[in-house]
Amino acid sequence: MAFMADRPDLTVDLGRGLQLRSPVMVASGTFGYGFDAPQVDRTALGAMVSKGTTLRPREGNAPIRIAETPSGMLNAIGLQNPGVDHVVRVYAPRWATWDLPVIVNVAGDTMDEYVAVARRLSGVTGVAGLELNISCPNVASGLQFGVDPVQAAEVTRAVRAVTELPLIVKLTPNVTDIVAMARAVEDAGADAVSAINTYIGMAIDVRRRRPIISRGSGGLSGPAIKPLALYAVWQVAAELHIPVIGVGGIMTSTDALEFLLAGAAAVQIGTVNYVRPQAAAEIRNGIADYLAEHGLPDIRALPIRSTSVLTHV
Amino acid sequence: MSIAVERLSPSPSGGRQGWGVVVERSVPMAGAVELVVSQRSAAAAVAPGQFFQLGVSAPHTILRRPYSAAWSDPRGGRIGFIFNVVGAGSAWLAGLHEGDELDLLGPLGRGFDLEGHRPAICVGGGLGIAVFPGVVDALIARGRSVTVLQGARTAAQLLPASRFAGAEVHVATDDGSAGHHGSVVTLFSTPLTGEGEGIDILTCGPTPMLMALIDATRRHEIPLSAIQVALETPMGCGIGTCLGCAAPAAAGGYFLTCQDGPCVRADQIDWNLMTDGFHG
Repeated sequence: MAFMADRPDLTVDLGRGLQLRSPVMVASGTFGYGFDAPQVDRTALGAMVSKGTTLRPREGNAPIRIAETPSGMLNAIGLQNPGVDHVVRVYAPRWATWDLPVIVNVAGDTMDEYVAVARRLSGVTGVAGLELNISCPNVASGLQFGVDPVQAAEVTRAVRAVTELPLIVKLTPNVTDIVAMARAVEDAGADAVSAINTYIGMAIDVRRRRPIISRGSGGLSGPAIKPLALYAVWQVAAELHIPVIGVGGIMTSTDALEFLLAGAAAVQIGTVNYVRPQAAAEIRNGIADYLAEHGLPDIRALPIRSTSVLTHV
Repeated sequence: MSIAVERLSPSPSGGRQGWGVVVERSVPMAGAVELVVSQRSAAAAVAPGQFFQLGVSAPHTILRRPYSAAWSDPRGGRIGFIFNVVGAGSAWLAGLHEGDELDLLGPLGRGFDLEGHRPAICVGGGLGIAVFPGVVDALIARGRSVTVLQGARTAAQLLPASRFAGAEVHVATDDGSAGHHGSVVTLFSTPLTGEGEGIDILTCGPTPMLMALIDATRRHEIPLSAIQVALETPMGCGIGTCLGCAAPAAAGGYFLTCQDGPCVRADQIDWNLMTDGFHG
């Protein structure tokens, strides 16, 4: 363990003034709106990404919504959320008192809905950025914008036009060419991308002879998808000039380091939040220890392949 | 009971994560395992009907496993858990021995409302009976009259009546090997219902049993509000962040078993939308 003065610099600049003190963020949908997990040490986090938020409140999908699968879990929550007005009125004032940037994950069925939610959140004290969810596999129209580069660019451009907030676009892996998607949203004005959202999968109850998840399919997360997510990040980071946030099955600091070495500027942890409340702190500390052990000054020294010049450097 | 995610305070106990030590392992009834865990702060904090998310390290599993405390002994700093082996997680827990450490997150959720003076009837089907030793103790300690109705497939799968000291215990088995031959719900007859003053019913069990109980109480003109159910649903986080444990609310939409329950009044549940998949 190095002395305090020697502690490596863990800060991350995601662009447009979004500064993180730690590269460890919590992924959307795994931390609610931040009020339900008193067990988690918020000081270990770089940022919190909220549950996917829509224009109107949504009840979510009928149970059963989750199922454990080998080294992973399926979920089909269906964007249950109280709607953006509630978020602005009730949650944002509380976030404003926190020493932690809160990024609101924005979801919608139509271009107009994305734009309306983004507009509503702009200029709201307590909201530090937006993550555009064009990749939810669990609602009827969730993937529509995430699988076609033209539509992904359109919705990114439309949201970019109405907000000065830092804009992250969360990519789905359920596409043929994720790099094309990433390039499209970069060109349309995204400040960063998060890669990846869940992989569509399913599980069947052989006793009852029906899918376990009532909706049939769900999004697969957890260590089961980590190698897939890592490869997606590796590919995307090589091509983009904006920061890539690595997401997918990170359970330990070694997992997080893999993503940072693959070219991610920061990481999000998700499923592990359900299991180990102390994971964020452990992962943050593990990254710091690794940097110190290897004599590296900061996490920007980590990518093992020289990528294009990053605009945030 | 609110049904959206308007949650601005932690669960009543604000469950904590900590390590306990298994101090006793036994087989309280056929197919089940009882672990007694020493963890002073958790034992002092838990209320009857609350649950813990137990950490498991079985290969290829991810999530914690939610179990109600069967009982707790605050002075001795011990908690009991009774469970069936149904999958890799419970098999791993069943493989723990005295001296092994166990990762507990809890206590979580809302337990039963034990206040009042009316006679209480505790109805447990299958492993649903596991929540009741502590509940019965707490009711007896409050001076209440308690009847336990326990149903199981066969005699060997009944929790011994000695676990419900001070209560009147009636049993039913599907194969007739002990007590009444048939469903535990058929034990629910007029003489038990204390018609004059009314009763409180506390129950836990498979959804079909709960449905049958609801029907029976309707026949006896007992209001749904007199019934408290300890719900069992698939659960992810146990603390209200994953929204995976939704259950259908009578008011429309869904409530969260982990935050609004697991113990809820039966009139809060939309029974038409309940699924038997909740009890696997």
